[in-house]
Amino acid sequence: MGKPHSIVLQNVNKEYRRDEFVIPVLSDLDLVVDEGEYLALMGPSGSGKTTLLNLIAGLDRATSGAVIVHGQDLGTMSEGQVTRWRADNVGFIFQLYNLIPVLTAFENVELPLLLTHLSKKHRRENVMTALRAVGLDGREDHYPRQLSGGQEQRVAIARAVVTDPYLLVADEPTGDLDRKSAEEILSLLQQLNTEFGKTIVMVTHDPQAAQRASRILHLDKGKLVRDEQQISFPVGVAS
Amino acid sequence: MKFLHYIIRNALRSPVRSLLTIGSTTMCLALMMMLLSFLSVNDSVATSLRTYNRLIVMSSQGFTQPVPYARVGEIASMKGVKGTSTFSWFGGKYNEEPMPFAQFGVSADKIFTLYDEFNVPPDQVKAFAEDKTGCAIGRKLAEERKLKVGDSVPLKGDAYPLDLTLTIRAIYDGPATRDLRMCFFHWDYLNEELKKVAPNSKMLDNAGVVIVKCESADQMATLTKGIDNQYVNSDTPTRTQSEEAFNRLFTEMFGDLRGMIQNIGLAVVFSLIFVAGNAMAMALRERTTEVAVLKAMGFGRGLVINLIITEAILVTLVGGILGAIGSKFFFDLVDLSKYTAGFLPFFFVPWSTALLGVGASLLIGFLSGIFPAIRAAQLSVVNGLRKVV
Ligand SMILES: Nc1ncnc2c1ncn2[C@@H]1O[C@H](COP(=O)(O)OP(=O)(O)OP(=O)(O)O)[C@@H](O)[C@H]1O
Ligand SMILES: [Mg+2]
Repeated sequence: MGKPHSIVLQNVNKEYRRDEFVIPVLSDLDLVVDEGEYLALMGPSGSGKTTLLNLIAGLDRATSGAVIVHGQDLGTMSEGQVTRWRADNVGFIFQLYNLIPVLTAFENVELPLLLTHLSKKHRRENVMTALRAVGLDGREDHYPRQLSGGQEQRVAIARAVVTDPYLLVADEPTGDLDRKSAEEILSLLQQLNTEFGKTIVMVTHDPQAAQRASRILHLDKGKLVRDEQQISFPVGVAS
Repeated sequence: MKFLHYIIRNALRSPVRSLLTIGSTTMCLALMMMLLSFLSVNDSVATSLRTYNRLIVMSSQGFTQPVPYARVGEIASMKGVKGTSTFSWFGGKYNEEPMPFAQFGVSADKIFTLYDEFNVPPDQVKAFAEDKTGCAIGRKLAEERKLKVGDSVPLKGDAYPLDLTLTIRAIYDGPATRDLRMCFFHWDYLNEELKKVAPNSKMLDNAGVVIVKCESADQMATLTKGIDNQYVNSDTPTRTQSEEAFNRLFTEMFGDLRGMIQNIGLAVVFSLIFVAGNAMAMALRERTTEVAVLKAMGFGRGLVINLIITEAILVTLVGGILGAIGSKFFFDLVDLSKYTAGFLPFFFVPWSTALLGVGASLLIGFLSGIFPAIRAAQLSVVNGLRKVV
């Protein structure tokens, strides 16, 4: 009895065209991710990790094959539909945090909620809950430049989860952080996975980071070369 | 709108750039307001003259050419004419003032019958008519130069080879649409003085133009034709028209002023679109990744376009309000007509013109924002995040 499938990729190809050159990036990819899985994508630079993540998150379209996320075949949806689908279903975490510098932590986290019909009062409640979850309550009026890298990334995580999305995608979320901050971010992601049941897909170069995931996928030259199920979490993390 | 504070923060991101855009919008719109108001004030002045049933007779060669003094009496005796007066520009310099105010040699016993919209105490009308070196000045001129009845007004001849020293005998007031900065004096006095110093002058016995007050409006058309017909075969044919038409002639003196001003207005609007549009495009280029992040988060194309256009409009609107509404209030306080040597009796920016200016700034904002907005909306999210744009 498996869990329902969260992400299904069937025979996915992705190529970029530049003039008459065709650059194949992903070839004949098949993948099934279950609901509540925490997937780490690893592989050398240029192997297609970001490209794969973008397909799953509905930012880009496959050249051929089907990408089905949370029961939706993304390939059949219009641009506008996919955009709305992302607003409802996907939370994004980037390597460089990508907070809006002219907005406070609170306003940054509130941004995706402005797309919903929530009242100001409900938005405030949700934002504060998200900030509390990442341990930044009391910092809501700070601007990104007044925060450390680790804190900025935590605001970004709060922003990613504030709409309570089904899926979190993270492209090298610790790539720009020192060890200690990285550990904090990884614990936070793990908590979101275990306590809140979020399906997470994380690209990382860092084997230690990958160890936190429930499954590690290795990509090379656009192909899946290794698929490791983690038996259990390392000792001393989460509970 | 819940996005407003984000839009405002974006507009304030580069305060210098926004201030420059606001500044140029303000300056250009203030200029536009001045030019457009000049037209509308001139229009309303001309239109207001319609009610006074007056004609102006000038030489068929143009109003700078002489009209013989004899015409004043001849026309006065025509049927339907209530009275006539000479109206001859002197243009003398007063004290050290660089610009002369308007001074006219008139038929002193008639002028206030012809200009019956002016209010003058009867004893002053009489005193002015009786003193050959007397003059009657407008209330605004009196106030601005701190002049009162009995004061002397020395005028240094400029076009004329003589100086006049006049004594104020009357101060007239009148409706706001009329020039309350004129100085009337006895045409006879000017002519006599001229005869003494330049007995052969071409300007001798020149009435300037003749002002004709008709008994009623019905007579104006007949008289206009009648006067010109009478002199068509003389040495000095005339051209007669209503005071309103004569007034409009002054703006036509500069060629197609209206068309010119409208073209300047359009040029201003266009250059502002480019200035503001360039600033907006620059601002967005710096925000490429951010726009991609918003779109990844689920901000649709329409919303992205909206946010950017609103930001562009916000900036130009501030400039528009400062420039248009600001110049309206500015010219309510500072009366520009003082400096027009009688060309304009008053100057103000009408609300309709000010609102047109605000409207123009909205349009400028919209057009300056639309292209950068569409560009940003079409940007691929993936490329924006990769920063390959
Ligand atoms: N817009 C594009 N046009 C052409 N080629 C592209 C484009 N985007 C990506 N590629 C190519 O696709 C390949 C995979 O890129 P991708 O960013 O997915 O790699 P990655 O595994 O994320 O690498 P890294 O670890 O360096 O982030 C690379 O060879 C890259 O040059
Ligand atoms: Mg990558």
